[in-house]
Formats: sequence, C-alpha cells, structure tokens
Amino acid sequence: MSLLQKVQQEVIERLGNLSITARQAVESVLAGQHRSVRRGLSVEFAGHREYQPGDDLRHLDWLVWARSDRYDIRQYEEETKLRAAIVLDTSGSMGYASGAQTKLEYARALAAALGFLMIRQSDAVGLVTCDTAIREFLPPGSTMAHFLNVLAALEKVQPGGETSLATVMDEIAERFTRRGLVILISDAFDDPEAFLKSIQHLRHRKQEVRLFQILDSEEQSFPFRGMIEFIGLEREPTLKLDGDRVRAHYQEVFAQHQGRLRSGCHAAGVQLETCSTNQELFTVLIRALGLR
Amino acid sequence: MIDLLNPILFGGLFAVAAPVIIHLLHRRKLKRVDWGAMRFLLEMLAKRRRRLFVDELLLMLIRVLVIACIAFAMLRPAVHRRYGGSNGAALSRQGRTAAVLLVDDSVSSMAGRAQPAFDAMKRLGLAYLESLAPGDEASLLLMSQLGAPPSDPVFDIEGLKANLLSLKPSYVATDIPALMEAGLDQLKRHINPGAELVLLTDGRKDGWHEEDKVRWDGLRERLRGPTNATPGTRLRPQVIALTPASVGFEENLAITAVGMDRTLVSAGRPGGIRVTVRNFGIQSSRDVTVQMMVNGEVTGTKPLAIPAGGQQEAIFNYTFPEPGSYAVEASLLNHQDLLPADDRRVVSIQVEASLPVLLVDDTPSPGLENKLGFLQDALDPETGQHGPFHVTRISLVQLTASILQDYRVVVLGDARVLEPSMVDALERFVVGGGGILVGLGPDTDREMVNRYWARNGAGFLPCPLAEAVTPAISPIPAAINLGHPVFDGFGARSDEAWKEAKVRSYFKLDTKQIKASDMDPLLTLDNGDLLVAERRRGLGLVTLVATSLNADWTDLPLQAAYVPLMRGIVGHLGSFIIPPRNLEPGGQIIYARAKDPAKGLRAEDPSGKPLKLTLASWEGRDAVVSEPLMEPGVYVLHDPNQPKPIYYAVAVSPAESALAPISDREVARHFEEGLSLIHTPEQAAESLFPARRLSVELWKWFLLAALGLMFGEAWLTRRETAPATGRNG
Repeated sequence: MSLLQKVQQEVIERLGNLSITARQAVESVLAGQHRSVRRGLSVEFAGHREYQPGDDLRHLDWLVWARSDRYDIRQYEEETKLRAAIVLDTSGSMGYASGAQTKLEYARALAAALGFLMIRQSDAVGLVTCDTAIREFLPPGSTMAHFLNVLAALEKVQPGGETSLATVMDEIAERFTRRGLVILISDAFDDPEAFLKSIQHLRHRKQEVRLFQILDSEEQSFPFRGMIEFIGLEREPTLKLDGDRVRAHYQEVFAQHQGRLRSGCHAAGVQLETCSTNQELFTVLIRALGLR
Repeated sequence: MIDLLNPILFGGLFAVAAPVIIHLLHRRKLKRVDWGAMRFLLEMLAKRRRRLFVDELLLMLIRVLVIACIAFAMLRPAVHRRYGGSNGAALSRQGRTAAVLLVDDSVSSMAGRAQPAFDAMKRLGLAYLESLAPGDEASLLLMSQLGAPPSDPVFDIEGLKANLLSLKPSYVATDIPALMEAGLDQLKRHINPGAELVLLTDGRKDGWHEEDKVRWDGLRERLRGPTNATPGTRLRPQVIALTPASVGFEENLAITAVGMDRTLVSAGRPGGIRVTVRNFGIQSSRDVTVQMMVNGEVTGTKPLAIPAGGQQEAIFNYTFPEPGSYAVEASLLNHQDLLPADDRRVVSIQVEASLPVLLVDDTPSPGLENKLGFLQDALDPETGQHGPFHVTRISLVQLTASILQDYRVVVLGDARVLEPSMVDALERFVVGGGGILVGLGPDTDREMVNRYWARNGAGFLPCPLAEAVTPAISPIPAAINLGHPVFDGFGARSDEAWKEAKVRSYFKLDTKQIKASDMDPLLTLDNGDLLVAERRRGLGLVTLVATSLNADWTDLPLQAAYVPLMRGIVGHLGSFIIPPRNLEPGGQIIYARAKDPAKGLRAEDPSGKPLKLTLASWEGRDAVVSEPLMEPGVYVLHDPNQPKPIYYAVAVSPAESALAPISDREVARHFEEGLSLIHTPEQAAESLFPARRLSVELWKWFLLAALGLMFGEAWLTRRETAPATGRNG
C-alpha cells in the first residue's frame, strides 16, 4: 500500500466520514492555531456583516459606526495561510520495529496524514527529513501537487545515521524566519537538554512547535528475558546483557528521560504527543487534534 | 570442636559449583536483538555498571551459599566438646543418644548363690537407662532373640525400664560377637546421631569366643568405622560394657554329654549310655550321684567323684526293648551349685530294629562273590536275621531313584557306570540326609567318576580321583582318626588290627580343591595317602574308600578289622536322624516324615502343654514346624501314624557351664579403644550421669541459614527483574 493510499484510507475515509461537526472541529482546531499567526499579515477586505455578540471588537469597523451609527464587522475574502513544516526524524533508531511496522513507517504515515489535513484547509506544508543534519528540505506549499511531492519524499526515506535533533532544530530555526508551525515527528532519543534548548530556540523565533514522539511498545516495557546481545541501530557498541536483570534499571532511565522531555516541553509551551506504533494512526490523529 | 556426623555425604559439597556452572551456561545462550533505544542501556550501564556487577556477584554468592548450607546440613555438623564428670572419666556423647542395650540373657546369667547374675545385670541396665534424657532413643536386643525380626527403637525410656525389669534369663548359649554384630545392625534403625552399644553381660569368659579371631577382627573393623568417623556416632559407636562383679565360679558341676557308646542303637541289644560329668569349679566333688532315666523311668544311679577341673564318665548299661524314639535323661542328685540349669541333660535316641542298607553291585550273588560280597557278610552275616543292619543287595540295573527312599545308607562297590539321572538322585539322597559309601576297584572309570560323581568337588563324591597306583611294596593303614565314632568298636587295640591289611592297589585322592576342614580323613596309609575319607554333603554324609571293598585290591576284607570298620562306617552313615531331634534352646521341632503331616499331629512341651505347630517346607519337603523351644527338657510329638511318640530333647550348651570370668583387660583388648567398662550401679552413676548434652547439632541452623538466604535471593531477584511500573508513565 502506497503512502497516498494509506493517507486516503486513514484520513479521507475515516476523518471524511466524521460528522460535519467533527470536521468543523478539526478545521477549527487547526484554524485556532492560526489565529495568532494571522494577525499583522496583509488581508483582503470582502465586506461587512452585522455585529454579533462574541465577535472580536478589534474587527469592528469604527468608520462605519462613525458614519452610520451601525455596528458592523469587517469581513475578509481569504484567511491567512498557515505555514507548517513537518520535521521527520530518520535516524537509525527510528528503524526499530517489534511488530509489523517500524517507527519510521509509522512516523511518515502520521506526517502524510497531518500534511493532507493541512493542505485540505489550504495551509502550506513543508517537509524536512533529518538525522544528524537535514537530509531533505521541501519548503511549505499549499497545492495538492506540492503535497504529492511531499508524499514522494516521504516514500523514499530510509532509517540510518545517528540522532542529533538539536542541531537540526537550530538549523530549521534559522531557515524559518516567518511565523509558522513546526511539527516534529521523532522518537526524541537525543540528549534532552540540547534538544529542549533547540526547541526554545525555535519558540524564540516565533515558531509554534508540536512534538509527536513515536515509540515502540518494547522500548517502554523492555520485555527481554535471558541473555541478549543488543546491537545498536545507530552504530553504538554491542551490549550483552541479562534482560531480566537490567529491566528495572532500563525502565528507570527511560522514565527519567521521558520525564525530562515532558517537563521541558511543558515549560517551552510545546505540545508533546507520545504515540506507540501499535496504536492506530486514526486514534492518534483524533487525540492530537483534540477531538477526544 | 566441630565434627561431621554424616561424612559419607561429603561429596555433596561439590554441588556448590552448580550455580556458577548454570550461570556460565546461561551466558552462552545468547539471543541477538537490533535495538533502537541503546542510549538508555548505555546510560544505564554508565550509572549502574558497578551495582549490576555487585548484585550479580551477590546473587551468585547467595546461591552458592544456599547450596553449601544445605550440603553442610546434610553432613550433620555437630559442635561438641569432651566433658567429664567428677572423676573425669565420663562418657562423651554426640548430641541425642541412640542406645542399643545388648542383653546377654544366656544360661550362665542364671548363675549365682544368693541371686542370679541376671538381677545384677538388670540393675546396671537400669542405671544406664537413668542416664538417658528425653529425646534419646533406645532398643533392647536379647541374646535369646537373635535371628528374630528386629524391633524398632523407642523414645519411651520409662517403658524400656519396665521392659528390662520384666526380663528373665533364657537357656540359650552366649555368643558376644554375634550379639555385637546384631547391635551394630540394630543401630541402623536408630535416628539419633550419638550411638552407644551397651553390652549387658555376666562377664563369663567362654561366651566371648576369643578363639574366633576372624569374627573379632571383622567386628572390630565394623566398630572402628571409617578413618574420620567421630567416636560415639553411628559410624563409630561408643561401647559400654556393663558387667556385674563376678558371681563366683568356685563350684559348678555340669552334665556335659549324654550319648550311646555306639553309633547305631539296635532294639534288644545291650548298649551303654555314657554320661559325662565335668567339674568346672576349683574344688573336688565327692559323692556326686548321677541318675539315669529313660522315657521318664529311673533306670539306675551311679556315684562319681570328680576332681577340680576334671571330668568323669558314668556308663549305664541298658537294652532298649523295641525300636522307636526314646528320651534319655541324666541328672545330678542331691547336688547344689552355682548353676542348677546344667545339672540335668536330656537326649533323644532313635532305636532301630535294623538299619536299612542298599548294596549296589554289578551282578549280585550270594556269599563272598562279586564286589560287595564281603561287605554284605560283614554287615549282615545271618542275612536278615535280627542283625543291626538289614541289607538289600541289588544290581546296577535295578537301581532307581524311587528305591532310595526306603534306605538310610547306599553302598556303591566299584560301580562301572551310573546313569546321569541316578547320579542326580544320589546327590539329592545325600543332601537330604542319607549316607553313601563308595568303594573303588579295577572297574572304576576314573574319568567318568570325576566328571559325573565328583564334579570338581561339587558332586556327591567327597573328592576327585587321581591316578590308580599299585606300589611295589603294598602299604598298610597306619593312622586312624581315633576320636571318630566310626572307630568306637576298636578300643585300645586299634593299632594291632591293621598289621596284615595290605593295600595292593588304590586310587590316590585329589584333595587339592577341597578345603581341609570340609573333609574328614578316617584312615591313612603308611605312605601318607588317604585310604578312607568322609565328607558332609548337605545334611548327609559320604564316605569314600580308595581301594576295593572286596579282596581284588586289598587284603583288608580278609582281616578281622574289616567287620568293625565297615559296621562302624555304615552305622555312622546311617546314624543321623534328619531332621535333628537333639536341639539347643531356640531350636524347633521339624517333622518331615509324615505322609500327611497336618493330620492329627500334636506336640507337648516338658510341662505337658500343647505346642503350636505350623505347616512349612523343609529341604523341599512338606513339614510341620513347632514354635521355638526355649526351655530345656523333653518335648513329645504324637503322630497318629506312628505306634510310639517321638521324643525331642532340648539341652543347654555345655560351654555355658564354664563360669570363669573374663578380665577387664581381656574385654578392653577386644575393643581397641573407646570402651567404657562399668561393674556397679555406682560406677554407672559416676560415669554416665554427668553426660549432659553439651553437643549441639548444627544442621537446623544451616537449614535456617539456607532458608534466609533463599528469601534474600528471591528479594534480590525480584528487585532486579520487577518492571518499574508507573515510573515512565
């Protein structure tokens, strides 16, 4: 199944079948994210409508009120486009799979689904694939043709190399000068301090950041028994360990890492969504979009 | 001081290597996994490497210690120290005590003037039992019950005291080595670690069987146990000899033997009943009267004077009126000594009308012809007219297996050949109690005889034959076994009897494969070769004459000595009543000749009480067996198929009459080391009461430690392997 087919199945068929309310909710969630971005950008005037309680008073047309003593609200022809960059971690650790699919396969499906949703509401979506450095860069675009390019780029990514998200995020912060949204899809198996620092750098550059952390269930439960030879996917030294004996220690270190990541994201105003590869993509999307 | 009470399990300590081996094997079974989250493993190792290593080492150590503790517990280590009573001569005891009281309740323990030695022995036994504490176990083993099914040890010491007090002496003979052997076997039934063999004996020297060095060597080896065995444990038990002070031996007369002056007792023929009286005391005894009774009727009395340490024989002439079983009883009248039990002796005597003898000849003919003519004439000169032997002479071809059951003695005279089935029948005949006399001669086929009759000493012939020889100078019989019953009829002139009895030809006997003790040489030639030899085969006897029984090879049949010699041999071969009727205390009546043994049989003890009879098997035949006969005296068996009752006699062992005590030094010599010798209850109290249990067995502590370590191991393992739930959520 191609990535496009998968996106169609996961997003169009399932989200498309949602009720109008739900679809509007999806859109509003995304639109809600744009509000701060839109302010201060050039807009095209479309007309007036009568003020309704709850309308933002900033959009009240004071000139009309001065002239006619009517309360009219100014309306615009087109909403401002959201500029989003999906950053996909393709490091070696993303190649791990305990089940049918690797974390990278799961991550690119998620990236495609999010990209599709944004293109569908006329936002601009770009793609960055990276490990220790940026490997592919597609600037944001809002056409379906551009989205197909994004999908093609996603189709050909392969796991490999080490992880250095901090370096990559710093570079992205330098490249994205305009306000926008950065969606980072990664296992975040990196030094949390450096990573969070780079996130703050992005935030400092007025970028909204959302982190989708992709994990495999075995990486959390560490179910190995007996003597295991662990071979690193990012060229780490091989380790021979007794699974039973190191489980508790591993889980403790892992939990510490997750804790630091969670608190760091919270402090930086970054929404962290932890996903497991055995979760259905659809449910992750629903949860991420705030429908549940 | 720590000792191992169960060192035989020392090899179990090697099991401590098991955890290390399992660990190494476990490490060899590797599974490979491509792993993404290596940074956490590396971070974990950076932080916890030392702790993981220490934990692993600790776990390994705990597992090794668990196994070591269990292995040590099974070795039963005990901490003890030697301690002493007020005189410093107290026993050393190893924890809880397992005591086996070996009670010599033999006849001699009845000896004593004011009170029997057995009472003093019981007091010593009680003094010993007083020294035992709750938790100690003990068992009683009586000399009179050796061979009976063993009983279990008891912890009820008070019950055991009552049991000891109720004991009475028996009439069995003393056999201290056998009692000690049984005690060592009984110790295996005990569970307590400390082991004591407590010998309660009257201290009579004869019962120790000092002459039997082989048995004592074996016994000492068993008592010594393994080299590293701790004294006072079951591997090397403490021996305590409780012997009362000597009851004296200055005065004891005993009837040591009663018997006939000939091997074959015939009805209607006068014979002499010999009664041997021995003075075991240190003073001469005069005016001792011996009374003779036959079947309960007094037949005569005789006075005797017996010097100290000597013996005298009284002979009572008596003619048994008719064939059958007789009870002959001799007793000392108006006499009192230390041991009354040996002042009376009974024997059972079987009187025959005539002894049925089967002569197997080539072609029997009357007179002195053929191989056995001389023998027939010697045994039955009047051919069946009231002689002591009833002889039947048949040819080899008439010999069948079924015919043998009607005879007590079979004579083979220079037989050429025997059918294999006949050889087998003869073997069964002699094993079942019959007698066979084999004569050789010119027709003897040595190869055939050796192959089928002798079978390298396993057949019925006493020994294989070597070559037949005809010396240039014919040898004559030179040495005879004078003490043998065969020669009872020769008297003092035995040397004269053989002067002209030249043996021209004879077979040398090949005795190399036969133990000297198995074969009894009766007559030896002047050149040293055996002429007549006897060997017991099963319950019967076989006598082999190396020359002919007629005049073909020897002048012996032409000599006067031939008749008493042949009568002596044949009479001796037929004199054994099987199953035996003269028994020792503890023996049983075995009656195997009845056609229907169960029907109408009854037996009585000396007091007239009925005896319990049971059906059993004896030598492959149906038989009736009585309960053990413990009291000396005459027992009577009534068989409705027999005209007269059958008498069985139980008599005490003559060896029990020697009351001379064994010295402490001699007792100590039997046990090498570790012997406690106690003569009085006061000594017992002195030596045994301070024996407080200062020894502590450590096995339970080792097991507790193992249990604690196992809990520790489980906790450590659980701590390491339990998932850290909730910490990464």
